[in-house]
Amino acid sequence: MNVVAFLCLLFFSGVAFAAPPSLAPPEGFRVLDTPNDTGKSLSLVWKASPSDSKNRSIQVWAVESPHAAFKKVAEFPSNTRYVKAGDFPWWAQPAGKGEHYVKLSSSQAFPIEDGKSYAVKLLVREGDQEAWSEIAEGRPAPNFFNQAQVNNLVFVLAFTGVLLASIAAARRNPHIYLRRIAGLDAVEEAIGRSTEMGRPILYLTGSGGMDDVSTIAATVILGEVAKKVAHYETSLKVPHRNPIVMAVCQEIVKEAYIEAGRPDAYKDDSNFFITSDQFSYTAAVDGIMLREKPAANFFMGSYFAEALLLTETGASTGAIQIAGTDSDHQLPFFVTTCDYTLIGEELYAASAYLSREPVLVGTLRGQDFGKAFIMSVLVFGTALATIGVIAGTENYFNYVLDLFKDFK
Amino acid sequence: MISIDRRIIFLLIALATLLPLLNPFGLPIKVSPEVRGVYEYIENLPEGSVFLLSLDFDPSSKPELEPQAIALLRHAFRKHLRVIGMTHWLPGTGLADSIFARVAKEMDKQPGQDYVFLGWGPGQGSLIISMGQDLYKAFPSDYAKRPTQGMPVLHDVRNLRDVNYMVSLAAGSSGIEMWYIYGKDKYRFEMAGGSTGVIAPGLYPFLRSGQINGLIGGLQGAAEYETLINQKGTAVAGMDAQSVDHLVIIVLVLLCNLFYFMLRGEKGSPA
Amino acid sequence: MIFLKRQLPLAITFVVGVIFAVQYYVPHPISEEAITHAADTMKIVAAFALLLGIASLFHVHALKIKRQVPGWGYSFVLYLAMFVMIVIGFWSGGENKVDGAQTGFGWMYEFMMVPLQATMFSILAFFIASAAYRAFRARSREAAVLLAAAIIVMMGRVPLGQFLLPWTWDLTQWLLNVINSAVRRAILIGISMGAVALSVKIILGYERSYLGGGKDQ
Repeated sequence: MNVVAFLCLLFFSGVAFAAPPSLAPPEGFRVLDTPNDTGKSLSLVWKASPSDSKNRSIQVWAVESPHAAFKKVAEFPSNTRYVKAGDFPWWAQPAGKGEHYVKLSSSQAFPIEDGKSYAVKLLVREGDQEAWSEIAEGRPAPNFFNQAQVNNLVFVLAFTGVLLASIAAARRNPHIYLRRIAGLDAVEEAIGRSTEMGRPILYLTGSGGMDDVSTIAATVILGEVAKKVAHYETSLKVPHRNPIVMAVCQEIVKEAYIEAGRPDAYKDDSNFFITSDQFSYTAAVDGIMLREKPAANFFMGSYFAEALLLTETGASTGAIQIAGTDSDHQLPFFVTTCDYTLIGEELYAASAYLSREPVLVGTLRGQDFGKAFIMSVLVFGTALATIGVIAGTENYFNYVLDLFKDFK
Repeated sequence: MISIDRRIIFLLIALATLLPLLNPFGLPIKVSPEVRGVYEYIENLPEGSVFLLSLDFDPSSKPELEPQAIALLRHAFRKHLRVIGMTHWLPGTGLADSIFARVAKEMDKQPGQDYVFLGWGPGQGSLIISMGQDLYKAFPSDYAKRPTQGMPVLHDVRNLRDVNYMVSLAAGSSGIEMWYIYGKDKYRFEMAGGSTGVIAPGLYPFLRSGQINGLIGGLQGAAEYETLINQKGTAVAGMDAQSVDHLVIIVLVLLCNLFYFMLRGEKGSPA
Repeated sequence: MIFLKRQLPLAITFVVGVIFAVQYYVPHPISEEAITHAADTMKIVAAFALLLGIASLFHVHALKIKRQVPGWGYSFVLYLAMFVMIVIGFWSGGENKVDGAQTGFGWMYEFMMVPLQATMFSILAFFIASAAYRAFRARSREAAVLLAAAIIVMMGRVPLGQFLLPWTWDLTQWLLNVINSAVRRAILIGISMGAVALSVKIILGYERSYLGGGKDQ
């Protein structure tokens, strides 16, 4: 019994006085050029450890020249900086899910230049214990293509393909059904009313420049309106906020009159510049409405706070008002004060509706395909994500869902 | 429908605005999560953090956005943040400069040391990209023509990647969406937005998706922020008037519908 | 002439359009520099275009004075205002303040432009009320739902409404964060698709209205 007790004492004292387990250095540490970036940064990757905790810290030490002294550039708890689902697309991930990933960008404390080689090592520290990783080297460089956005590029190219195919189909068969847009049916009525009353038509192209899609749509519709106006010899007034838009509209209206066979009826000063200041322009147009009392007002393009000031003044003069805008914040004001409102992309569709040109009609069809695809993806993606969460299989469904995410 | 002369409606609105301003009744302001998001982010920034405030509005939006700017600046100065100011709207440059000067004087902050107002630069989206590459190339001098290189407030700030938080106070285009597309999306700083009441609802998709972490909407949003920083200003003062205005419009709308249904009932067809 | 008015602009549009479409996928610093250079070019073009606008403005008002149309006196007022602003602007060096003292330009900005612009914006409050009275009628079920939502949000967004009907606050938050966000997203998607489609057509030369003039086959 005494021998057993003695042996037990020996064993447990050995255990008590044994050296604590030594700290393991980070496993699988490697340094890469950060992918899909503008350069001047390195990516550090290493495997996660079951012993990672907030009491254990990781320090990053780096040096440009291998003979110089290493410098500490970052420090953080070891249970942070994991790669999570959604950080990278599965087709372009520098580190696997669950691994540690740190992006080391150039800073004033540690500048990083493209093309130069940098040596990096990690120090794991817990209490008094430390362990260094192997030294790994990497060379940063800017990338010419962002692989994380391949899905974006594929969708853009696919949409372009669908658009071109729709335009080709519309050229072969121009009698594609377009649903009636009430506001556009009223254009003819508005022009006729102005002619009967002998009062001018006022057409506004909005606040945007020629880089604004809604302004382009407004100028296309102006061309169609000008053709009809040329037939009836009604006066057309187009006050402008933007000189470039004014120059474009002058050409469009002139061409419309020529196409209508009435070049003699064209007036050079039908398009005129007022000012680019928002409320000065609004005051001037309100003045035109109150003095000249146009019988029809067209508000096409993008608008801001001036929308209600323009339309309410127009309504007080008794004019028929047709608006079309993609400025959704002004839609409530247009809807309440105008007789007809083209909402959002109805403005873009309006040019197709009026002219019935195959290119424009085909574009509408292509857009509809795009929207149908997005709606399907929304329903399908929501269902997948929900099933994934319920069944715990979201990891697998992420392969599909990642295709529709926007990665940078 | 029984029509009321527009001038009577205008008079009612004028009285509804004027009387509460002369005799405020002061009701408590509830704070929304979207405004609290901005406040808490700034509150948690360490001293010396870089805060970029872009006043993207002109004098027409002054009543709604100036109180927001003043409240944010007071908060930022109180937290001893390094404030960088600028604007994308040329007509608003003088106004933005006067706001910075006024609040800085009130909080005893020095230009160049504690804050810098860079002024206006042409280009909008490309200006942001330029700032993202090299702030000093985009703005070699501030609005008062002092060289930005070597300014104590801009120590260690090379480009937008060194900005810790950014708020754009926008009255329309050249505002929050532009800052997100050309700024946060590329240079990864956190940002929030402030806007006029009319465009605020259109910015909720950006808020819900996390593209902006907070939204201060209109005079109400400014009043909420003033309440959070415990320093009431023109926004809180204006909320009484706004409350009565809303009530008057609701009464008018209800009246309009009452007349509509009464006449419809009498005639047996829509009025 | 056709080459300068048609083929050349189309070619430039195509090349520049493709370059800057591809630029989005190129993170290399060279692509950001390209955008900055392009933007600088656009600024120069815009500056020249402003001269166009000013010339048009002068021409229109000169005609009004010459023909003595009703209100032609205001054209003189316009010329006078422009002249005064330009002269004082140059005299003040374009500065609002010099050594802390307000310049004439600064005075005109602070005491004329700022109040005038704020006043124009404030007119909206009156116009909203008159438009609301005229148009917010519950003509149909959908209009009635819209009306109810509008009243709830109007009450929920102001302290008096929150005080009188506390439940409007939570309902307003829900309406803004859920219903409003969903609808805005849908509108944004539609508008964005339209914008992409129009941009593709312009780059590929299908859409030529921006060149002015008729449509080529």
